This record gives sequence, C-alpha cells and structure tokens, in this order.
Amino acid sequence: MQPPIHALIISNGIEGLASLYQPNADIHYDWAEVGPHFDPDLSGYDLLIVPNGTDHVAMYRIRDRVRAFLDAGGTLFCFDGWFTDWVPGHRWLMDNTQKSMEVRYKIKDDPYGLVGQFRAEDLNFSHGISGWWSCGYIEPAAQSTVFLEDTWGRALVVIDDSTTNGLMVLTASAPAADLSYATTDDDAADRAMAELYRAFLRLVPRQKITD
Amino acid sequence: MSSKKIGLIFNGVWSQYAFAKATKYRDLYKLLYIHDLDAAQMDSVDALAIPFQSNHRAIAQRRDLLYDFLAQGKRVFVEGDSSAQWLDATWEDRPVNNFWWVKDPHNSPVSATDHSHPIYNGLTPRHAFWHYHGIYTRVPEHAEIIQKNVDGDVVTWQTNHFGGTLLVTTLDPIIEHGVQQITHLNHYCDRLTEWLIGIRPEGKFEILKTDYGVAI
Repeated sequence: MQPPIHALIISNGIEGLASLYQPNADIHYDWAEVGPHFDPDLSGYDLLIVPNGTDHVAMYRIRDRVRAFLDAGGTLFCFDGWFTDWVPGHRWLMDNTQKSMEVRYKIKDDPYGLVGQFRAEDLNFSHGISGWWSCGYIEPAAQSTVFLEDTWGRALVVIDDSTTNGLMVLTASAPAADLSYATTDDDAADRAMAELYRAFLRLVPRQKITD
Repeated sequence: MSSKKIGLIFNGVWSQYAFAKATKYRDLYKLLYIHDLDAAQMDSVDALAIPFQSNHRAIAQRRDLLYDFLAQGKRVFVEGDSSAQWLDATWEDRPVNNFWWVKDPHNSPVSATDHSHPIYNGLTPRHAFWHYHGIYTRVPEHAEIIQKNVDGDVVTWQTNHFGGTLLVTTLDPIIEHGVQQITHLNHYCDRLTEWLIGIRPEGKFEILKTDYGVAI
C-alpha cells in the first residue's frame, strides 16, 4: 500500500470550494488561504491543487515558488483558467469564437492510461447542455501530452512531465474534484468529473518535496 | 476613453478578469484587487461592482471602505453570494438550477420581477433571469424587493439607507458574461453599467489574446 498523497489546495475564499475535495486514506488535504502577503510553504507536499475559480494574481506572485516545487519533483494540478503567466511553458486562452453548444470532448493521446478510468462522453452534457465543463483552451508546451481536445482540436487537458522535473496536469478551466459545486448536478457528468480526478491522482508520485 | 469608471472588486478569478478586459467593457471597468484595496483606489472609481466568486472574508476586513463609498452617494452592485460579516442580510445557498430553460422553459424559477427598476426596465423575463446562486432569507427593513423566486424567497433587493444605492442580487451577470456561455447577458450587463455610471457600453464583447498569459 502506498503512503497517502499530501496535497495543498489554494483557496481564495469562494463559496463552495471547501466541499470539493474529500480527504480519505489515499490523500490528505491542507489549505493555503490567499491573503495580502500570500507565500505558502510548499515543502512537504506531493501535490499542489489550483482549483476552479482560483486567484491567479496570487499565483503569479508565487510563480517562482511553484517552479521550484515542480523542479524538485512535485506535481501541479491546475483546473482553472490561468490568465497570468505562472504555469511553466503553458498558456491558457479565453475564447468566445466558437459556440458552446458545439463543444464535444475527444481523447487525443493517452500514454498515461487514463482511458477506461472515466467516461469522457459523459462530460459532454450536463442536463443536455454542452460546453459546461471547460472554457477556452490551452497552448501547450512542446513535448507535453494533449490528453483531451475539443471539437476544433484545441487542447483542453494537458499532461506534462518534460518541461520541469515534476508533473503538471492542466485543464482549460475544467473542474476536477471529488464533488462539484454549482457547476453541475447531472449524475453522469458529476461521476465522470470525479472519476477523471481520481485517475489524475493515480499519476501523482508520492514523495515529500523540500524546497 | 470614459472618464467614469466602475471599480470591479477582483478576487483574481478569470471570469471576473475576462469581463473587465473585454473590448466592450475595458474602458468602463477597473479591476481592484481585493488584497491591495485601499481608500485611494476607491476614490479613483465612480461606482463599485462586487462579483460572484468574491472573497467575502477579505471584503469584510475592508467593510468601512465600502460604507464610506456608499456614504458619498455612490452606487454599489453586489452579485452572487455575500457575507453577513459586512452586509446586513442573510444569504443562504441553494442548488443551482441552470437547466430549467431546457427542461421546463415556460416555468422560470423566478416568478416576480419589478420591471420599474432601471436595470430591469425593458428587459424580457428571459433576459432578467437565467439562474441564481442562493437566496436571501433576511434583508434590511429598509430594503425594497426587486425579484423573488417561485417560493417567495428574495433574489434581488435594493436600499438607499447608506447614502448611495446598494443593489444586491443572487444573479451572477458579471461572472457569467465573462464566461460567455449565456448569449443574452449583454442586455443585463449593459443596463447595469448604465445604471452604475450613466454610460451605455457599445461594441462587441471581444477577447484579446494579448490579455492572456500576462505578467502583472
């Protein structure tokens, strides 16, 4: 049996955030609350989680600390739209040129074996409405894996173990968690999102990072 | 370039940013990062908008700035959730029904809207409501009710008690317009902007690539 993952979640105090991640025998969560002099200690954590709705001004201000955490072998999950330049090598872009009713999610490359651990097609609709899960798209770093793309071939889920010494799992503002808050209460969509999150967790190397 | 500005209390959330940076609104809204907010920044704007997904604990720590602003006779708009730590009202969460228009489009969860309010005047029922995030179970005695849901719970209210006008709703027009998945929100947001500073936004909601992946 592997030791539990030690994860730190960034919190900017938005409603519903506290309920999204449920501790269990496989993972222990701590929270880092954003404030005026935000500078969290990332040492001792395997995983840094930047959830949907995060403060990307605060993340930009600690970008060097995040980079050091990754270079020391840590894992970053960013499930949000990072409009500031703090994710090494990757850029997220908001876009409104395509209709959300035409958004469908497609598996592109799966070297990490995520297919089969969740039903990607169940992410397409929430109560019959498409486009609910993601926003914008990612311009990924070279040599990273585009796991999921949209109707127009734009990267929505990117996994990168090349740009730094650590691992980055990035979504185009697509929430991934044990539970959703206001985003959806569609059972199939909710289940697919949670199963994908748990599949991401299986990628996390267990090692205490000291920076 | 407009000489009047609306301060958008900014929690670093991308949808707040996307709204304020869109070509249609960028000259009218100024992002005020909550953790850097001070009196000088408040003095630089003519009205204030507090969007959904705000950090209400941080706002409560700057409560006096908000009420000093209102006391100057200015307008403040609050959307989504709130906190009794700084607002004399009780917000409670409720499940979000953002699919009623697909499942049962003739039965909106909002049943009553005061269309005499300048923002709602001229809005169709569909443009005046899409979904709400929670309700108010208590509002100040001096509040007037603008919108209620089918159960009679308060969705939108307003008061002039603090000097200026405080308009509070559990709708989320700024966040959702930033997300750009509800296509009609220009109607609400344009009227909101005009109500706040007297200027009706013009042009398209365009997103500039140069605003993304930025150093700040």
